Amino acid sequence: MKPSRIWSMVLGGYPRSRRARHALRDYERGAIAYGEAEERVIEASLIVIGAQLASGNLYIVDGMVDWHDPFRPFVEAWRNAYPDGLLRYFDNNFFYRIPVFTDDPEPSKLVLAPRVLRFRELVEPAQLKVVVPGPVTFALMSRREADMSVEELAESIARILSMEVREAVKAGASLVQIDEPMLTDPEASRDQAVLAAELVSRIASEAGVRSALALYFDVPKPEVYEALLDSKVDILILDVADAPTRALELLRSKGFGGHTPGLGLINARQIYDDRYSLVVSTIKELIESIDSEELAVTTTTWLDLIPFRYSIRKTYLLGLYTERLAAELGLEHVTPLHPRD
Amino acid sequence: MTAYEVPRKFPTTVVGSYPKMPQASEAIRKRRAGEVDEAEFHRLVQPAIREVVEDYLWAGIDILSDGEQSREDMVVYFAERMSGYRVGEWVKIFDNVYFRRPIIAGKVGWLAPMTVDDWEYAVSVSGGRPVKAILTGPYTMVEWSFDLHYRDKREAVLDMARVLRREIEEYVSRGAQYIQVDEPALSTRPWREEAELVGEALEILFKGVQAKRIVHICFGRLERILPYILDYPVDQFDLEMKNSDFRLLPYLKEYGFNKELGFGVVDVHTLQVESVEEILDGIERLMKADIVGPEKVYLDPDCGLKRLPRDIAKAKLRNIVEAARIARERW
Repeated sequence: MKPSRIWSMVLGGYPRSRRARHALRDYERGAIAYGEAEERVIEASLIVIGAQLASGNLYIVDGMVDWHDPFRPFVEAWRNAYPDGLLRYFDNNFFYRIPVFTDDPEPSKLVLAPRVLRFRELVEPAQLKVVVPGPVTFALMSRREADMSVEELAESIARILSMEVREAVKAGASLVQIDEPMLTDPEASRDQAVLAAELVSRIASEAGVRSALALYFDVPKPEVYEALLDSKVDILILDVADAPTRALELLRSKGFGGHTPGLGLINARQIYDDRYSLVVSTIKELIESIDSEELAVTTTTWLDLIPFRYSIRKTYLLGLYTERLAAELGLEHVTPLHPRD
Repeated sequence: MTAYEVPRKFPTTVVGSYPKMPQASEAIRKRRAGEVDEAEFHRLVQPAIREVVEDYLWAGIDILSDGEQSREDMVVYFAERMSGYRVGEWVKIFDNVYFRRPIIAGKVGWLAPMTVDDWEYAVSVSGGRPVKAILTGPYTMVEWSFDLHYRDKREAVLDMARVLRREIEEYVSRGAQYIQVDEPALSTRPWREEAELVGEALEILFKGVQAKRIVHICFGRLERILPYILDYPVDQFDLEMKNSDFRLLPYLKEYGFNKELGFGVVDVHTLQVESVEEILDGIERLMKADIVGPEKVYLDPDCGLKRLPRDIAKAKLRNIVEAARIARERW
């Protein structure tokens, strides 16, 4: 089945604007009230939402510009968990605060639903996406100070995240993306992938809307990828641009398992303009492996590791290239920019 | 020529950076504000370097460094002193802390000695003890910069190596005996092609260099690329060991490691000062593993000490020196 439709979306968070950064710094120093800092955060969120809308993306994120790292807001919203010292975040020159679990985590407040309520109308006519860290990645990147295994912790995290996405969908989210970058790690095992597939499926099922599993920073080993293909999600997103040779080899041999492919082709960790010729040639190489009616083009990962203005530029390129791909490959461009008549 | 005789067994050393002294922070601020030129900046940093060296001497370290007191960041420092770079834009490093990640906007080039003056000053106050010359490696420079010019990592890394080679030549001409290149980015991308690229760059850096050639690598999956790095044209691998509970030892044994080993025996990420006994335990694990003899083992911290409070850094170094003294008697 050759795809007949193409659409685009950014994978996740954005960097802070200068004003948001300074406002949060001033707030941390006690120089301004939180409300003032929050205004700057919302201002930055509106800029990145506008950029995604103008780019024609089908699904939009609020930018998560107030999140220090992907785990932090959840850790701070849960009992029996706290953020501790810094650890390198994959191969980036960025450090996250390691989540520490002192016991089985319990939610004390919702993270996603309030954001959805705030931003859902602002993204129209596009749809709002929420992003959660995958439970296996979350558990593997945490420290356990209680008597529980990684698997038990991942199960607990999945239970809370299921509740989070259920409430987010009730509030108006249309797509739930679950990020499992640890499964691209060379040390990731098939057993971990089996667990991830099970827990991701559980969260996606709880969401009851379209769902995506995102794998980035590298390419999973074949046996890990095979297990992940069992995930009951609609969209399977891979970072293709980071290691294109290995990515193409994997995808040509294993395919997408019936999922809508999300191809990470706009490099979110570099600031140069991605070459359109490279993007189109990659898709042409993969098109025979795609057994889905549609195809998504995405950034390789979140855009929060590059300067703010380049994140906007990358968002623009994503939309521009998707439009050109649609024309060149004879695909329908699914975008909220097109009037519905 | 140094008068100091470095111990034949278990000499002690440092990886490079040391807690920033107030004089250095003030000098960096003044330079940023345009209040002082480069020469005045380095002159202002000298009291900080002197204090660092005094700490090393108090602890009894054999092979010293200048404490990298001039360097606000290991990549930005060099980027600001080469041609081809432009001022970076803000990217996050943790929490709400951002730094200007430098941008390669043209062919990189060497302009003038970047680090040699600080090293030379450290030598002048080291009481004859040797001082390591320390550079951020070409792979790490490129990996932790943005690149708008080359758009080809190999080309960028090899060009960067040529620039840093020029700095090394400057060091050699002024008598440096120990030259260390730091490549922390390598272990975060543990793939054969990356390891081989670093190897090519090291060939450029070190070919024909008459000094002890050292590469420092830390924190990551080094065991994955060990088979591809052991032939690097270096005399010594300086490796983080304590933080990873000496996980690398069986791999070093398996792959027949036979170069000198800079053996990280204290963790730079914890405020807890390792006792002499704890350090000796680490040394014993190495000796029991029977990889290299004590003549090839240099004891040092896992990595730079810059994130630690000064009193903790000093205490860790002091215990390394004491452990080395006992180790020399024991092995």
